[in-house]
Amino acid sequence: MKMTHFIVSLLAGLLAAGSAQATSLYVGQAKAGAVCAQCHGIRMPSADAPFPPLGGRDPEYLKTAIKQYRDKTRKSDIMNAIAGSLTDAEINDIAAYYGSVKP
Amino acid sequence: MKNTIKMLNKSLLASSIAMLLSSGVAVAKSDDFHKLYQDNCASCHGSDHGGYLAPALNSATLKGRSPTSLRTIVMAGSFDTLMPPFYGKLSDDEIRGVIKHLQETPKQPNPAWTIDDMKKSLKVYVKDESTLPAKPTFQIDDKFENLIGVAARGKYGRGEGSKAIFINSSTHQKVGEVPTGTAAHIIDFNPANPRWAYVKTDTAEIFKVDLYSMQAVRSIKTGWNGPGMGVSRDGKYIMAGSFVPHNAVILNADTLEPLKTFELEGTDPDGKHVSSDSGMIIGTPYADIFAIALENAGQVWVIDLNKEGFPVTRIENVGRHLHDAFLTHGGKKLMIASYDDSIVAAIDLEKREIIKKLEAGCVPHVGGGSAVKVDGRTLGFGTNFGDCDKTVVSVWDLDKMEVVKQVPVSGGTESPAAHANAPYVAVDIISKDRRARTVQLIDKKTLEVARTLDVGGHAYFPEYSADGKFLYISAGYNGDEVVVYDSNTLQKVASVPMESPAGIFSRGRVKYMTRGLSPDEMEQSK
Repeated sequence: MKMTHFIVSLLAGLLAAGSAQATSLYVGQAKAGAVCAQCHGIRMPSADAPFPPLGGRDPEYLKTAIKQYRDKTRKSDIMNAIAGSLTDAEINDIAAYYGSVKP
Repeated sequence: MKNTIKMLNKSLLASSIAMLLSSGVAVAKSDDFHKLYQDNCASCHGSDHGGYLAPALNSATLKGRSPTSLRTIVMAGSFDTLMPPFYGKLSDDEIRGVIKHLQETPKQPNPAWTIDDMKKSLKVYVKDESTLPAKPTFQIDDKFENLIGVAARGKYGRGEGSKAIFINSSTHQKVGEVPTGTAAHIIDFNPANPRWAYVKTDTAEIFKVDLYSMQAVRSIKTGWNGPGMGVSRDGKYIMAGSFVPHNAVILNADTLEPLKTFELEGTDPDGKHVSSDSGMIIGTPYADIFAIALENAGQVWVIDLNKEGFPVTRIENVGRHLHDAFLTHGGKKLMIASYDDSIVAAIDLEKREIIKKLEAGCVPHVGGGSAVKVDGRTLGFGTNFGDCDKTVVSVWDLDKMEVVKQVPVSGGTESPAAHANAPYVAVDIISKDRRARTVQLIDKKTLEVARTLDVGGHAYFPEYSADGKFLYISAGYNGDEVVVYDSNTLQKVASVPMESPAGIFSRGRVKYMTRGLSPDEMEQSK
């Protein structure tokens, strides 16, 4: 009985921790502001910029693309360099943030 | 004959293309990089390579700098500054070439822009102004007061993102956009006729804007770089001053035709004769005059508009490196900031003399300044860059001309906003870290920081709406929006997206003279 109780609360704890770990729009915005926005903008890139918009894009697509740049399975000198230092959690936050932005 | 010329041209063209292709960019002439610099960099770094909003780029300032590290900055931009990434805009060869060019090029000695150059640059977009609509073509209050203009710089300081954007400050809806080609810096409203505004860019073009139809009707290039601009109280004259070259000009506000230029030079407070950048220029509601600050000469000139030849009265020894100023006492007194002496000098514009020099923190930049009436006293507020340890906002009693308090704030500040009906004086924290996101609010009565707003981006240039109900703040180059707050509750009520917004200018300014004063203050000028 006690054991079951323990397992249940452990699971609950893990789940809670899991969701806290999931994504944070605020952290995503801060990271996007520091890493991506210089070229891609906070909402939109500059009207004069040769960079694609990220705001409003599908977060799953963004995650995949950034991870590919990081892992150099997708080639771009500048993107391989910039994405190179990002962790999975940071990529998730950034993707969630840009996904939440209305362009 | 025509055909022959065409043929000749064609073969010339063909051979020049061939030459270009064979010679490649590697041996591109220094002329090309001069042009590339002027077209991409000079609006911020100065046409004379002497620096402007951004650092000077010349053989002396870049001596010993690694071309590789400079290339990285040009490619990726510089975080938490206005410097954008030129990756994808300029080729790698162009970036390498321009860096080499800059490391070999000395600062240019005051490149000329004469009254004839100005005349030639005059452009007319609407020939017959009688065809313009008689009333605003958008929804706004009957007095046409709830209008706010924002200088949107655009990410690259030029291009499609560079425009003056106008907002109805009761609905927070954008009501017009006027493209300016390069970064808009200052917006002045005509005090005599509400339909006209003047927008000055960092490359010293002035656009005459019809606010009723939200379009530019004329423009003129008054210099290479420099934001200084003022409008006379009768709305008949504009004065514009430049960083490059060191001159100023009086324009007919109606036609934008240049009437007279002034070479800015004089003896500085250290007794040296110097050529000088133009600092602030201001018209005043009490007289037909302009006041202009000569930054390096440390002088304020008063120019009489209703006397033949626009004669100049020179007030010398005002302070080292003058910059911006605001008016008080019905426009009869001018409070002008000296960066290097860390004072604000009070000048009597009637007697044309210095009244007093007041302590002003550290590297004071008063922005548009602010003044509020509190418990019978008129208090002036001055921000400062605070490049030293002291980050305070100075509060002066403008009647006694003495320092009341130096309010500690969390960082350097650039521009204070106040309104007779709003409880707080807002100051933008510009220190280059997380504080740059914030604006602090000083309680008018207690003179202490009451709240800190996390606006985001690089928040600067707060401005109250003409009725004082809303506080507008630019989230700057990292925010790409103007954020609007309720002045009392400080709740965020709206966001207006735009590219790299900077200065915000309420049309209320023509009514209040200095932000924070009530319109009654203007009565003093009569």
